[in-house]
Amino acid sequence: MMISETISAPVPEAPWRVRSKSQLVWIVIASTLPAVLSFFISTSLNLPGIAGLVLVFLPIQLLAAALAALVTAGRRGILDAILTVSVLFLMAIMGVLLTSVAFTLVQKGIEALSFHAFYQNTVYITSLTSLEYGGLGHALVGTLITVGLAVLFAVPIGIAVGVFLTESRSPMRGSVRFLSQAMTGLPSIVSGLFVFAFLFLTGLIDRTAVLGSVALFLLMLPTVIRLSEEVLKLVPQELRAAAIALGAPRHKAFFQVVFPTARSGIITACLLGTARIIGETAPLIVLVSYIPTTNFNPLEGSMASLPTYIYAWLKFSTEIANQRAWGGALALMILVGILFTMARYFGRPRY
Amino acid sequence: MDTVNPNLASASNADVHLSTSNVHVWFGQRHILENVNLEFPVNSVTALIGPSGCGKSTFIRTLNRMHELIPNAKLAGEVNFKGKNIYAVDVDPIQVRIDIGMVFQKPNPFPTMTIRGNVLSGLRLSGRHSRNEDELVENSLNAASLWNEVKDRLDSPAGSLSGGQQQRLCIARALALSPDILLMDEPCSALDPGSTIRIEETIRSISRTMTVVIVTHNMQQAQRVSEQTAFFLAEDNNPGYVVEAGSTNDIFRNPKDKRTEDYVSGRFG
Repeated sequence: MMISETISAPVPEAPWRVRSKSQLVWIVIASTLPAVLSFFISTSLNLPGIAGLVLVFLPIQLLAAALAALVTAGRRGILDAILTVSVLFLMAIMGVLLTSVAFTLVQKGIEALSFHAFYQNTVYITSLTSLEYGGLGHALVGTLITVGLAVLFAVPIGIAVGVFLTESRSPMRGSVRFLSQAMTGLPSIVSGLFVFAFLFLTGLIDRTAVLGSVALFLLMLPTVIRLSEEVLKLVPQELRAAAIALGAPRHKAFFQVVFPTARSGIITACLLGTARIIGETAPLIVLVSYIPTTNFNPLEGSMASLPTYIYAWLKFSTEIANQRAWGGALALMILVGILFTMARYFGRPRY
Repeated sequence: MDTVNPNLASASNADVHLSTSNVHVWFGQRHILENVNLEFPVNSVTALIGPSGCGKSTFIRTLNRMHELIPNAKLAGEVNFKGKNIYAVDVDPIQVRIDIGMVFQKPNPFPTMTIRGNVLSGLRLSGRHSRNEDELVENSLNAASLWNEVKDRLDSPAGSLSGGQQQRLCIARALALSPDILLMDEPCSALDPGSTIRIEETIRSISRTMTVVIVTHNMQQAQRVSEQTAFFLAEDNNPGYVVEAGSTNDIFRNPKDKRTEDYVSGRFG
């Protein structure tokens, strides 16, 4: 009898459902009541939205959650409830901020971004010309060329230095690492001024878009070095040993084992480096003056770019000029979005 | 130091193609191993036993020049393979590592390669080619008794295998280069008993055509797989040395040194 009773003990239908009905009631009350309460308090006190949110809603919600946790889970639940509420609150604020930035950009920029805007430039366009004419094609081309040149040099050199730092046993590693760390904090305007003084004032390079590329290269390089070093360090030492024990020369061990293992991380490193420089404005304002015409040659004449395009149109006060600037900002965001999506696609782990 | 019989003299010398003489190892200023003289006869299995930190793993790494990869590691003495010191100036360490393969303590298959790619990785990494890769893959996996479990998914990533399977894949990878000697540094210490048994079966079958040197902490394992055994010991910050070496039977049943007897009967270590 004993045994059969034990066996036929009631099996809960859903053992993973750990909340009882009364707990559920508490949770519902604790998550709705503070919102309603703080809404009435803030409106009656005529508080501005953010103040009401932080000064009234957050404390009430924290208190309510802590009380509900005390009732349903005992004292152990209080800290959990407070952390949960704080994290969700901050997450909601970040979400609202991000959505609002994206939404404002689209709302204000979409009108200036009709199809022709992507291939036309702004020759003969004044601050009063209708949006039906002209576009940011020249700035888009300029950004792609200036940034592209910087990326073309920063990626191989940056990865090479990262490899030097992780794979070699050179006594120079310490100082190289220190210098690249110091360069990470280089203010972008200083990089621009450095290139201006070092390459232009000395007469080495004319006032062309290449100057801008050099400044951007200097800004991108330390990011690529630091991140690719970190990623290569994550490749287990055992894999290198295994490759060498199979009779691999060190370069083959690197190219066939270490690099493929770190591949997706290295792509991310290059991407973050590109993201750091693509919207960089200060060195371009110093070095490459904005022009309204399209220029494909970085070695001759000046060149437009999206950041200087935005800056140039912001100097006018007309509605249309403002819209063109917003259009440039939206185009920049779209460009970054495309780059990120591409890098995610190509950098995805193979298995 | 009353070292009893530091040489393995059980096999006739004509059959020895790997031996060490007066091997000393330092890490920086620290003397790690002292005067190791061992001989490994052709197609034998030799177990290296001893408590942790006695230098067994360090020693096995000197046998295929993996030792050189450790910064500050120094070596004196000779490791003779087929009558030539592998540390001689004109010897290519890459060829040494192709002839003398190695399996590590932790399974370390290449995560970006498929099972098939892992077996063939030795060829690719040492820049060689095989006329019949499919056959090589099948033979190597068979020799590591893994073929039946993976023959239908040779193109899945190596990381999808269990720990024991991964270690057997690493053995297959080493066997694919058909080395003369296979060094195994505690190959079963991260594995469950079932996988351990399968790897021991593998060791027994490959030792028909290959010389095997295995470091192990498991004394039953040493008795099961090896024909001869060397007992290493490092006392009170002194460098490690070979206390006793000889046939596995003698070391476990009839040890000449008191410390060997204490260790193999489980009184310390």
